[in-house]
Amino acid sequence: MKNFNIILGLVLLGLTSLSVQSAEIRDYHKDVIGKDCKTCHDNGIKQFPSDQSCLQCHDVDDLAKKTARSEEDKWQNPHNNLHYGKDVPCQECHSEHKTKQPLCSNCHTFKFDKHKG
Amino acid sequence: MSNIDLLGRRKFIAGLGIAAGAAMVAPAMAVSEKADGVKWDKEVEIVIIGSGFAGLAAAIEATKHGAKDVHIFEKMSYFGGNSAINGGLFAAPGTPMQKKEGVEDSVDRMVNDQLLSGRGIADEGLLRHVASHAVEALQMTLDAGSEYHPYLQQLGGHSVARTYQTSVSCGAGITQPLYKECKRIGVNTHNRSKFEGFLVGNKGEVVGVKMRQNYHFGEDQPGKVLNIRAKRGVIMATGGFAQNVDLRMAQDPTLTADVGCTNAPGATGEGMFEMFRLGAIPVHLAHIQSGPWASPDEGGFGYVSNYSIFNLPHSIAVSRTTGKRFMNEIADRKTRADAELSNRDEKGNPVPPLLISSFKDSKAHPNTEKVIKYNVGWKFESLEELATHFGVPLAGLKAQIAEYNGYVKTGEDKQFGKDMTLAKNKMIEAPFTVVRLWPKVHYCQGGVKVNTKAEVTDSFTGKSITGLYAAGEVCGGIHGVSRLGSCSIPECMVMGMTAARSLMNV
Ligand SMILES: Cc1cc2nc3c(=O)[nH]c(=O)nc-3n(C[C@H](O)[C@H](O)[C@H](O)COP(=O)(O)OP(=O)(O)OC[C@H]3O[C@@H](n4cnc5c(N)ncnc54)[C@H](O)[C@@H]3O)c2cc1C
Repeated sequence: MKNFNIILGLVLLGLTSLSVQSAEIRDYHKDVIGKDCKTCHDNGIKQFPSDQSCLQCHDVDDLAKKTARSEEDKWQNPHNNLHYGKDVPCQECHSEHKTKQPLCSNCHTFKFDKHKG
Repeated sequence: MSNIDLLGRRKFIAGLGIAAGAAMVAPAMAVSEKADGVKWDKEVEIVIIGSGFAGLAAAIEATKHGAKDVHIFEKMSYFGGNSAINGGLFAAPGTPMQKKEGVEDSVDRMVNDQLLSGRGIADEGLLRHVASHAVEALQMTLDAGSEYHPYLQQLGGHSVARTYQTSVSCGAGITQPLYKECKRIGVNTHNRSKFEGFLVGNKGEVVGVKMRQNYHFGEDQPGKVLNIRAKRGVIMATGGFAQNVDLRMAQDPTLTADVGCTNAPGATGEGMFEMFRLGAIPVHLAHIQSGPWASPDEGGFGYVSNYSIFNLPHSIAVSRTTGKRFMNEIADRKTRADAELSNRDEKGNPVPPLLISSFKDSKAHPNTEKVIKYNVGWKFESLEELATHFGVPLAGLKAQIAEYNGYVKTGEDKQFGKDMTLAKNKMIEAPFTVVRLWPKVHYCQGGVKVNTKAEVTDSFTGKSITGLYAAGEVCGGIHGVSRLGSCSIPECMVMGMTAARSLMNV
């Protein structure tokens, strides 16, 4: 039992440090997520969150508005882009626990100054 | 049937995997199995694997002919495959725009152009089938809402201008409307769903598929595998394998990881492989095409590719070390890619050649501004400035441009025999726009053998494998050695439509 507690403690510590890390990438998530990993991990803690998970709080249309570009570059909007419209799941470009490149960088040299992993 | 022994052997291997230890979480190996006694998790009318041109066109056509329960499965999180990042160039003979522009063209003429670039090993029957139905496919895109530039283009290896291009200069100008049309007519679409193998009936017929749900490409998270029964059949539209470095190097050792690739990450070929294991005939796998219009200054297809495709007919490509031309700028792809690859220094390191255009002519293409803005191309006010920037010998370059401008006047290219029709009145003069050229692995001519009904042929019996259809880049042999630009969209769409018609018995 004692061993079990230690292991449990270690596991929790691990999880906490993960969530700290996630809060580091996006500090504004700290309050919402707190220590409850399940806020995002709706498929179970060890699984990636579902594609709908982020959409509990974020609205695609709002995001598209926020990242809109000028008429000439309108299709470079990551949240409403030429190739996939508004249908790219968030996890393709974003991650809470590590930094990621935006999907566009596979082929383009666009800059997304505010992109955080 | 050829597959029976293979299946037995694979079961044995799979068994070994389990015995070796439970720690091995679901290896990526695809495995087909006998359907005998499997528990079906789901039963649908038509299974389509892959969501590019071929898969989307098949879904729409099947629905048009009365299918009620069509499902598209896509392993990536987003839909569209190579088709969604494609250049949007669509060749068809006898189109309304050709009539308007007075271009004489025919099915025969398009097939002949393709046979030439196929260098004797293209499949004339399939080419003819595709060319004969290309206008119908174009119409399907128009019906779904695709829009095209108001002019035709003449691409390398084509004897006339027969190529439409979407107004966004990208295949997404087709996949987005087709995808929306699929949604509108009730096609079921599933992302993160990876095809893992066939379920095969007693007579060797395909009766269903094993599909991994909640699959995250490139991540270590295997989802659950479902057995899905396909009442009418399965259409494989999984595209090419240009992103599978091992596989392409096995065919052509020069195509190492160092050679760039224009394809979407999902072009890894396991769908094709599983068909081979089942007995499909591999055709022309070693003919892998590189795009001679790509740039080493950006990833994938980027902005430069379409920019160059548009500009090559009225521009010159010169070697950086001599300032001289080294190829016919609109020869077929293989000819040009090989010529470009020969641009190297004494140590054998690449010295990518330059494509020089007059700004006045290049700016007609919407990508020109972007190419300059995103630092993958340059604008120069004078030849001196250009030559200094790239360290090209000025005298040689000057002489070359003067010589070439002579050909523009006479309409005859004495250096490389380039068709000067689209270069008419387009002198090379300042200001200039320049991009660097270097080939990237682009298209797999090889794949499984199909007939003009999109049925997959079995290697041993020579007959079609019942219940199995394939369309698009996953099929091989159609184009032979080298596919002409803008000829994949018509192929994918026509063969997708054909597979649907075969399934629906029309
Ligand atoms: C950058 C680029 C530009 C091009 N430009 C042109 C052009 O202008 N004109 C032209 O004619 N041709 C062009 N081509 C070629 C053409 O785009 C492709 O040949 C065509 O898109 C292939 O379509 P498809 O439907 O066969 O496959 P794809 O569009 O590649 O679709 C296949 C789909 O299957 C999915 N898939 C693969 N394996 C599995 C699996 N195991 N389970 C589930 N899903 C799977 C893939 O993720 C992919 O989404 C271009 C190609 C590229 C890469």
